[in-house]
Amino acid sequence: MDRWIRRTVERHLPWNVHLDLTYRCNERCVHCYLDHQDYGEMTTLEIEGVLKQLAEAGTLFLTLSGGEIFLRQDLFELIAVARRLHFDLSVKTNALFIDAEKARRLKDLGVRGVQISIYSAEPEIHDAITKVRGSLERSLAAIRTLLRENLHVKIACPLMTQNLMAYRGVQALAESLGIPYILDLTITPKMNGDAAILSLRNPVQDLLPILQDPIFHPRSCDPGEAANPSLAISDTGSSSSSGLGSRAYDDIPCSAGHNSCYISPYGDVFPCVQMPVATGNLRRERFEKIWFHSAEMKRVRAVRESQLPVCSSCTIRTYCERCPGLAQMEGGDLLGAYERACQLAETKAALAGVENPISALHTWNGRGSLSNKVLSTAPLQPGCV
Amino acid sequence: MNECPERNPKLAWREIDGEIVIISPEDSQVHELNETASLIWKYSDGIRSCKEIAAELAAEFDVSLEVARDDVAQLVKALEEKRLLFVAAAVEG
Repeated sequence: MDRWIRRTVERHLPWNVHLDLTYRCNERCVHCYLDHQDYGEMTTLEIEGVLKQLAEAGTLFLTLSGGEIFLRQDLFELIAVARRLHFDLSVKTNALFIDAEKARRLKDLGVRGVQISIYSAEPEIHDAITKVRGSLERSLAAIRTLLRENLHVKIACPLMTQNLMAYRGVQALAESLGIPYILDLTITPKMNGDAAILSLRNPVQDLLPILQDPIFHPRSCDPGEAANPSLAISDTGSSSSSGLGSRAYDDIPCSAGHNSCYISPYGDVFPCVQMPVATGNLRRERFEKIWFHSAEMKRVRAVRESQLPVCSSCTIRTYCERCPGLAQMEGGDLLGAYERACQLAETKAALAGVENPISALHTWNGRGSLSNKVLSTAPLQPGCV
Repeated sequence: MNECPERNPKLAWREIDGEIVIISPEDSQVHELNETASLIWKYSDGIRSCKEIAAELAAEFDVSLEVARDDVAQLVKALEEKRLLFVAAAVEG
């Protein structure tokens, strides 16, 4: 597959597209960054047009997400169109609406993957996050229904203050079901810029039990492996599900704008769901024009890791999972360093045995090593976000 | 050679630089086709027969019809075994 990824990066083909069909949702997850109000979603016809443009542009991997996609009455109609256009189809859902018939239809329409968020194996924790009583039980019932149809189901478990240590239960649950899972440490500000939900994000020192857990870092003592952390855990959200282990991404921050992008329910095109850089709207322009000719898309595409003003000189770069979108959201600069990534990198480097690891940002700021403080259990300095 | 191969409609696939990559949703297998196989894949529309596809192939790659027919027969058989293609007998007349 690496050969194909390389080709798509070199030729800037939109190989991997995440399309949110709606921001409406039947859950009210405490950490959600979306505004669930409907401000005029694209119609069935408009989305069909978008899908045709994506197929023409070369998109293979299409993820339909939201919001809750089953709130779109035309969902199966859209999936059927996507099938006729030969996309590799995955969906993200809370699965509350999935019954045997819907599971069968997903299977019949050739949907390859279904990702479902599970926050804990304990109902009181999961339901408190979704704010829907009984939601864990219903989501788990739906997972079993999907598995009976032999669909590929994956559990996604965003971790926050409410459920950090629930990951072991989720892991056991996934193993008992025989399905993969991903833990996600990413909590982002709301789309309107409201950063209050960042208070739900675990401080880096609280992540030590996870970062030290050999389940996720079986080779963490080898610095050479640090650049390829287990895919089972992520602090960069969706971007790390794009085959980023490929050498095709050498010297570019990630796939965003190179061979992947995000489209909102209103037709806005962004390099990534986590990168608030508006590049155009599909109600006014064709996809190819935005993808190939938008000045903002070109700006994102021009970024090279080796030219980042701070991070390029960082001695612990291989331990860092810097996300350009989060750099923009949290530090206000697509090219910049941001506190959270630096703290995590220092901690990971220290855990891997690097002596006195200091990120370039903290070197510039004249601060001492955070990691030593972490390992001596002293509290971390508060992050800047 | 009168059979008409047809692509499995559940498959995901794209063409880049004349080569086809296919992903099967059943098992997440990735299948990569070379240039010749890609052309046969594209012509496998359920309408053209293997004989017609072989003629297209012979013209495109400047090989004899006999060689092209062998190639088409082998590849269609291989892809049918992997359930990437379905093969139906051509309608007479």
